[in-house]
Amino acid sequence: MVEAASVLVGQGEAAESGGPAVVGPDPVQITLTVNGVARTIEVEPRMTLAEALRGLLGLTGTKISCGRGACSACTVWLDGATVCSCMMLAIDVGTRSVTTIEGLATGGRLHPVQAAFIEHDALQCAFCTPGIVMSCAALLERTPDPTAEDVQRAIAGHLCRCGTYPHVVAATLAAAKARKA
Amino acid sequence: MAADKTTRSETFPSGIASVGLGEVEREVPLDDPPPLPPNAGLAVIGKSVPRQNGRAKVTGATRFTVDVTLPGMLHGRILRSSLPHARVRALDLSAVARHPGIRAVLPVARPEDPVAALVRYIGAPVAAVAAVSQSAAEEAMRLIHVDYERLPFVADMDKAREPAAPLVHDAASAPQGSASGFPAPRGLPLNGNVRGPASDSRGDAAKGFAEADIVVEGEYRTQVQMHCCSEPHAIVADWRADGVTVYMSTQFTAGVRHELAETFGLKLSRVRVIVDGMGGGFGSKSTLGAYGRIAVALSRQAQAPVRLVLDREEEQMDSGNRPGTWQRLRIGARRDGSLTAISLLSYGTAGVALGAGVGNMAQALYACPNFTGAQHDVFINAGPGCAMRAPGNVPGAWGLEQAIDELAERLAIDPLVLRDRIDPSAVRREERRIGAERIGWQKRHAPGADPGPVKRGLGVAQSLWAANVQTNSACEVRVMRDGSVEVLSSVQDIGTGIGTVMAQTVAEVLGLRPEDIALRIGDTEYPAGSPSYGSRTTASITPAARVAAWRVLQSLLREAALALNAAPGDLIARDGRILVRDEPGRSMGFGEAAARLRTDRISAVAARGDDYGGFRRRMEDAALAQQDLGGVQFAEAAVDTETGIVRVERVVAVQDCGRPMNPLQIESQVHGGVVMGLSYALFEERILDQHTGRMVNPNLEQYKLAGAGETPAIEVVLLENYQGQSATDAYGMAEPATISTAPAIANAVYNAIGVRLRSLPMTPAAILAALGKIPARS
Amino acid sequence: MNRFAWAHARGIAEAAAAASTTVADAMAAPPGAGGDEMSIVKAGGIDLIDLLKENLLVPAKLVSLKDIPGLDGVVEEQGGGLRIGAMTTLATLADHSVLRRRCPVLADALRGSASAQIRNVATLGGNLLQRPRCWYFRAADYRCLRKGGGHCFALSGENQYHAIFDNGQCAIVHPSTAATVLVALGAAVELANAEGAQRQVLLEDFFVPPHRDVQRENDLKPHEILTAILLPQLPEGLRMAHVKQGERDSFDWPLADVAVAFDLDPEGSCKRAAIILGAAAPVPHRARTAEAALRGRRIDEDTARQAGRAALDGAMPLAKNAYKLPLFEVLVRRAILAAAARQ
Repeated sequence: MVEAASVLVGQGEAAESGGPAVVGPDPVQITLTVNGVARTIEVEPRMTLAEALRGLLGLTGTKISCGRGACSACTVWLDGATVCSCMMLAIDVGTRSVTTIEGLATGGRLHPVQAAFIEHDALQCAFCTPGIVMSCAALLERTPDPTAEDVQRAIAGHLCRCGTYPHVVAATLAAAKARKA
Repeated sequence: MAADKTTRSETFPSGIASVGLGEVEREVPLDDPPPLPPNAGLAVIGKSVPRQNGRAKVTGATRFTVDVTLPGMLHGRILRSSLPHARVRALDLSAVARHPGIRAVLPVARPEDPVAALVRYIGAPVAAVAAVSQSAAEEAMRLIHVDYERLPFVADMDKAREPAAPLVHDAASAPQGSASGFPAPRGLPLNGNVRGPASDSRGDAAKGFAEADIVVEGEYRTQVQMHCCSEPHAIVADWRADGVTVYMSTQFTAGVRHELAETFGLKLSRVRVIVDGMGGGFGSKSTLGAYGRIAVALSRQAQAPVRLVLDREEEQMDSGNRPGTWQRLRIGARRDGSLTAISLLSYGTAGVALGAGVGNMAQALYACPNFTGAQHDVFINAGPGCAMRAPGNVPGAWGLEQAIDELAERLAIDPLVLRDRIDPSAVRREERRIGAERIGWQKRHAPGADPGPVKRGLGVAQSLWAANVQTNSACEVRVMRDGSVEVLSSVQDIGTGIGTVMAQTVAEVLGLRPEDIALRIGDTEYPAGSPSYGSRTTASITPAARVAAWRVLQSLLREAALALNAAPGDLIARDGRILVRDEPGRSMGFGEAAARLRTDRISAVAARGDDYGGFRRRMEDAALAQQDLGGVQFAEAAVDTETGIVRVERVVAVQDCGRPMNPLQIESQVHGGVVMGLSYALFEERILDQHTGRMVNPNLEQYKLAGAGETPAIEVVLLENYQGQSATDAYGMAEPATISTAPAIANAVYNAIGVRLRSLPMTPAAILAALGKIPARS
Repeated sequence: MNRFAWAHARGIAEAAAAASTTVADAMAAPPGAGGDEMSIVKAGGIDLIDLLKENLLVPAKLVSLKDIPGLDGVVEEQGGGLRIGAMTTLATLADHSVLRRRCPVLADALRGSASAQIRNVATLGGNLLQRPRCWYFRAADYRCLRKGGGHCFALSGENQYHAIFDNGQCAIVHPSTAATVLVALGAAVELANAEGAQRQVLLEDFFVPPHRDVQRENDLKPHEILTAILLPQLPEGLRMAHVKQGERDSFDWPLADVAVAFDLDPEGSCKRAAIILGAAAPVPHRARTAEAALRGRRIDEDTARQAGRAALDGAMPLAKNAYKLPLFEVLVRRAILAAAARQ
């Protein structure tokens, strides 16, 4: 895997003036590690991670709903931490590894949170669901035995117009139990 | 004569299961299936079957319209008016047409046309482009030069009613209403900015008020609420020489197909509409819409597919909204609670559009011999309203259910006891009984009785909603020679899980598991299905699915009968087998029977028949069932009288929808209705700057939706209410589930603090003002 | 979003040299001015990307601070204070063992800010420098006073979320909850310029009220980088509390928030008090009369109530925000009592 920051430095104007290496505004090649695979793409510096995932990598499970970090539909993990990919520039990801909803299930096996969401009907139109699943799965990594309040706090940034919140909480608590079993 | 008879008589279960079931005789078409027993006697229907598309949805695999990418696809963008009212004197598209990335340019406002030159709200489409990339389309917006002549505008309903107010419409441009009465009746007078009244009366209201011992009167206001679908309005239009294919985030594929055919002069056979994942509509995605027409026109011009996705600001400014309303309600009653008269006067605004009435709550929920009502639409220079989850009855309930509570207090009668006296619905009576027990109504105290600064209260409110049926709603069921089964319809899953319910219905008939049934829906290549609005989808498509499955089963049974050496009428399908009813040992697998088919597949298409007991009213492709939908909700709220913060701690929602087909999915629907109603009650409001006519919160940050932290514990109780009206006896749920939430909370707030909030939303500012805690400004 | 170039600064001086202007200067400049050269510093970028998406800011270049070593983390300093790198994320701080031990009030305030997703990216430096959320300021259609225009649209417009103090010219409220707490604790900021010179300023003095300059909320200079937040050693037994009230408990901006810090003499009388109101004024607002009302008094329900009332001294509510008066009054009282209850 090519380390992204070094790609940037290599391609930027030489820093002979003493200033930092500069790339863009034209497209620049970067390498993102997405769901464990290094993917080299060309992005303008202004391209958000959400746009890069959806438009360039075909990973359309990540959704853009409010576009301003207010609804968290675009949630992905950077090194395991949840972020709004619509408020993150692709070029700014660097060497951090990106996990999207497509990368959560392993070897065709659903993540326990995904399985519990189905069982508890924690989804309706499901446009916001991938983001919520990412938040709930991240919660279980940090807090294997959460309370209902922990779940509510973990999804406090998410907006679901269908009102799935009660089933999301139930499903996540059930997933925590299933994981320990 | 028997030979001519097209129906047969059948005995159906009838009544409310928790009260006790009786029977009802119905005439049913000869080739309709036998009556379906109550849920307790069924294998699949009435069970909480997980959604069939759940796996795709939780893995991100579901393809929503915003995810559709076609080869050579262009990106559309609409330039929108920055002024609330203006005449477009000139529209210069020459610079944008020269932009290398632009493939189509479409004027929408037309300076040469006296009507089409006018823009009447901020966000109204002025021109549109299709470009090779989204960023090129955005850059193009800066290359379009519009010369506006500013016109006076009005952005407030009360000001718009004043005689000297600037006129939003003239007689030619003002929307007319429709024969169906939705969003407003046709032929109402236009007086300045006011269209109406739509009048309604029975008995003699003046006489009724004269006979009243007590009269309560109140004015109630509701704000403008935005739909805020998670998935924006989106379309991918692919115009080809041989017809157009449209991928659209829509609640009604078959209807959009009709609109496209009409708008673009195409035969229905040349128009195809497809939706897979659909990210929420709530009424705002019922039609093709201006953006849809624009996208198709751009595709036609560019001769390439065009994707047009509204951004969140466009969503908030020009994708519809729930109109704001004002109403004055007067209710007269005798000492025993019996109502003598109700009068209703309302004004509402759907911006430049119609549809701001307050529904039929006051007319129809309670027994009252005398009623008079006058409802008005007021035009203002703001984005058009449209249907939103229980249009009319949501603001209607806000007024009526508080007024009834006020009346109960004045009469010193418990609000539930009063409703028992004046509500003729046996269904709601049972719902009140169950809900009161669950919420602990007996612990309800006098208003404001809690000692500390945080005061709790209990409240109740009821809902009323017509049980709609789409008669133009069909479904095909196919059985393949390998035993696999498909169900096909253009009906769309907007998040309710209707496909799963159809699979359950077919599986019940064929004796299979729901996961054995492959779903093919959301595509007008299949038989035209119901729209997903008006809480009618389940009522409209599941009887068609059961009838189609039943008919295809009869064909299969004929084959099986030969093999089993039995009469087809003696065979039943159960547990994946075909067996002789009285001799279950004689059986064969469903697949074995299918393997005997002469052709690769057999199929039956069925349409939604009439309700067996007849409809109350019929309107072209739709009809009203005899019995309305109800629902009663109870809320427990805590009010911090020092900060003005209201937190709803518990909601008990007791709802009915005929036969509940999938309790878990219905529970999800009810959660959605309650959360949306709570959000309406406490947080949401379109805020228009009065000096500029611009919405200042066109986002999801300052336009506030309830999140997980505000969501109370919600207990859902479903009545089984059998009426013997169709092959499934199932009706809708989504809209009734949101009607009574806000007034139940308001009644709980009143019970907590002893002050009534008559305006929405109940913000801290509103609560503190109601409590007299805001000092007068110096 | 418009196109821009991207620069990775490797050192503070390099970043300071490369950043031609501040966000505030850039937004107040006439449209088009400095367009080709304008370069702006980017930390977490949450506020910046928002401004870019709204076309409120059209820089030619962003200078990322992300890879500059030493700009994040928490260090316990010799004199007993804490040095918080400006690039430390809110999430890191909310869970930081040192901060949780030494200043749980700040850690809790950060934990309650924004959403988990934002906290994982937003930095404390960026949080202090973020621009106001006033909806007129945030909409490109309104060229308001703070953006170099001639008029505050909120004064006669929709001002329900606006300032009740110091709102004569421009009625924004400062959006940072962290700032409310940090000012109460007497924190300072450390700034460095392209020449490598550093300065330290008391955070309270770093914020700029409208009468000093209506186009900026702070005194960040062009070619200057906010490098650290310095928390002084807190006196033994300092009582602290922060309370905030949003319309929603989920991700929402506060309608009002209050930080208090005071210490008591051996008799239990208040020696010094800091009472800071957030979402009340264009900068974190020190409620001096309320502070005076505590000094020399024993802290009880009565004193707290009087201080709550005194906190409104000088308030001039606008047409739609008078509800903030009773709200602040009660939050001040509750914060004082909560602090007193803490040992």
